[in-house]
Amino acid sequence: MILDELTNIFRDVFEDDDIHIENTSTSDDFDEWDSLNHIYLVVEIEKYFKIKFSSREILQWNNVGDMVKSIENLIVK
Amino acid sequence: MLFTSFTFVVFLVAFFCVYWLVSSPLKLQNLIVFAASYLFYGWWDWRFLSLIFASTLVDYFVGIMIYRTPNVGRKRRYLWISVIFNLCLLGFFKYFNFFIDSSIHVLSTLGFHPNIHTLNIILPVGISFYTFQTISYSLDIYKNKFKPTTDFIAFGAFVSFFPQLVAGPIERASNLLPQFLNKRKFDFDKATDGCRQILWGFVKKMLIADSIAPYVNDIFTNYQSYSSGTLLIGVFLFSFQIYGDFSGYSDIAIGVAKLFGFELKMNFNYPYFSKNIGDFWKRWHISLSSWLNDYVFTPLAVEFRHFGKNGLYGALLLTFLLSGLWHGAGWNFIFWGGLHGLFYIPLIYGKKRFKSIASNKKLQSKKYVSWRDLPSILITFILVNFTYIFFRSKDLTTAFDFIRNMIFNISNSTKNAEIYNHKIVFIFIGIFILLEWIGRDEPFALQYVKRISNHYLRWTIYCFLIFILGVFITTTETPFIYFQF
Repeated sequence: MILDELTNIFRDVFEDDDIHIENTSTSDDFDEWDSLNHIYLVVEIEKYFKIKFSSREILQWNNVGDMVKSIENLIVK
Repeated sequence: MLFTSFTFVVFLVAFFCVYWLVSSPLKLQNLIVFAASYLFYGWWDWRFLSLIFASTLVDYFVGIMIYRTPNVGRKRRYLWISVIFNLCLLGFFKYFNFFIDSSIHVLSTLGFHPNIHTLNIILPVGISFYTFQTISYSLDIYKNKFKPTTDFIAFGAFVSFFPQLVAGPIERASNLLPQFLNKRKFDFDKATDGCRQILWGFVKKMLIADSIAPYVNDIFTNYQSYSSGTLLIGVFLFSFQIYGDFSGYSDIAIGVAKLFGFELKMNFNYPYFSKNIGDFWKRWHISLSSWLNDYVFTPLAVEFRHFGKNGLYGALLLTFLLSGLWHGAGWNFIFWGGLHGLFYIPLIYGKKRFKSIASNKKLQSKKYVSWRDLPSILITFILVNFTYIFFRSKDLTTAFDFIRNMIFNISNSTKNAEIYNHKIVFIFIGIFILLEWIGRDEPFALQYVKRISNHYLRWTIYCFLIFILGVFITTTETPFIYFQF
């Protein structure tokens, strides 16, 4: 399940094993999720799933659910 | 119309009465805000109303068109209309002469002597603020983060809302526009809180910034006649002048908005208690730094993400250079921005993970800074003060000359600076720092007084501040520094 794999990436990036994410989670829910960590997160996700997002879709994400959708679309392709 | 003028007091009282008398229908109340804001702005120069109206008109239609078209390419073209239009307004009125002067300088260095003339252009007040506000509206719709409104009156009132029109906070449509689309109710507690914030804004502006201003002007104008110590004092004083001036304006703006039932975003969060440069930019002019973070730094960092930390350095430096240019059409401002970018880089370099140093989120933790942080607070304050030399000097050459004098002119003062005859200013600053420290967990320091349960003591403090303002008020109106930006 993509959300579980994404949770592991979040835990790795934010160095916090207690992090729990849902589709509705946003950057407001985590103190550490700022613009710099966001870039780091994107790079780690791309590496892990061996995909490449377009800049536009990254900038359109509003929550974790949007990230999951983008990953699903690219994996299917 | 300056906040510190008698005209504004009359305007505010009249507007307050009309606004709450006509609380419905909502459209009529918004129309009154729209008209009053145009009156407020037109008081400076009515000709520039056409610019703000044009910007409103363009972004109103562009927003709707971006939203309605399903075609991504067309969405992008509509967005470009908004971005190019607003940047052209800004570019012509604010930067035209700067670019012409810089081009002539480069060409003459290369041996060419072109016969190009600069134009006598008056900078429309607040143009940097409202153009950024309208651009962000179209960008948010393009990024599917916001739906456009079809209510032109509400949109016009949002763009021209007088408390924050000329010097911010730069509001996002997602925060302010819905407040125009919903009915406001008079809230007594909110209004008194607004009055308290207005009072604190006046204290910052009139008691701190305006009382310091003549001495800063003296030291920066005659810097060649003063010793290192006096020049250091000049820079220190300027740091409080600009903070008092700009954050004072923001406090008055936020306070005035509260009188009409609106909540504007916090713009300053005790920036001189910052523990590093990243922290400083979370606390200083928050509405601009978060704007640059969302619309410049993040898109650049996303684009450069495959270059690792070097990509982040590049995005960071470009963002800060642009921030410098936004502040003023001069190389000294660009240099000032670049220095902040350089001071920021070690924070990224030293971290395995890039822990929250660029967050624009509100700092929520109680006692976020304590006495233990004093060394890092002092280092950050010194770094910020150093950059102010470039911000305050009239050009880059003068700034470097100022620094040269500061280093080498240790004891050769040829005249006595005015400030030494008015040492009471230092007492004001000392008390001000103490009050800000005590109230640092509040949205503004004077709100701490709310915690005092004794009604009489609270009112004694308010009356004392009003009395002091009356005693030390200068008879001449001093414009706010950030109006020029």
